[in-house]
Amino acid sequence: MAINLNKLSADTSLPELKRQVTQEHINLYATASGDFNPVHIDPEFAKQTPLGGTIAHGMLVLAYVSEFMTTSFGQAWLTGGSLSARFKAPARPDDTITVNGKVTNLQKKGGVVSVSCDILCVNQQGEPVIVCETKVRVKTNEDIS
Amino acid sequence: MTQARIEYEKLTAGYEFTPAEFQLDEEKVAAYLQAVDDNTRIYEENKVVPPMAVAALAMAALSTGLVLPDGTIHVSQDLEFNEMAVTGERLTSHARVNRKVERGKFHMLTIEINVTNQKNKKVITGETSFILPLS
Repeated sequence: MAINLNKLSADTSLPELKRQVTQEHINLYATASGDFNPVHIDPEFAKQTPLGGTIAHGMLVLAYVSEFMTTSFGQAWLTGGSLSARFKAPARPDDTITVNGKVTNLQKKGGVVSVSCDILCVNQQGEPVIVCETKVRVKTNEDIS
Repeated sequence: MTQARIEYEKLTAGYEFTPAEFQLDEEKVAAYLQAVDDNTRIYEENKVVPPMAVAALAMAALSTGLVLPDGTIHVSQDLEFNEMAVTGERLTSHARVNRKVERGKFHMLTIEINVTNQKNKKVITGETSFILPLS
């Protein structure tokens, strides 16, 4: 469900997204992306590292941010979106990741609105996993639904 | 184009990787969507490939030419989505080392990635940084 561009303003909260990370998802992501770093898929190896166990690929969790933005901005995100993300803490198997975000700035120029957002992914303990800034350019006559 | 494999130790700022081609197969995209648990209709209905899948596959193509030590951690990611990609397209990933920082035990590598389609239009651009577990 896309948001209504006319109802957006600075401080508007975007619809929350929740996803559970499982070791199965991590293994599937390793296969899909070709990233078989053992910190993601080898519990015995990962246990010996300072991480203490396997962790999800950062790009797997970042995919939730992209889904979050797609839900709100549709095709505009896919062809005019950008993000700048910092991975603050690892996501581990069985973590529940909640993605929240709000609009921080809107700039109208010509027929295009540039929307800036602050996005935060936290685990079930409320610890930040990803801190991210996003921007998306939406044409004012564009159907983002 | 065959990727020449290079070890982390031999990389220097400015090093350009051999461009790597990859195909957006339906199976690969479906496997990606299953892994990230994404059921957004736009991907199914319009054969659009999620830009994050393009980024993941571009990094996978790049990784065939780069040997990073086990335990390497991804610390930041910047991405810009331009042209939309659709299932079946063949894309090319271009990458270069932007920065290589080594201060004592702190080793960080930043790589710029550009992915283009067959019309040579930019699909995604970005920069990715890793911290390496070196002593």
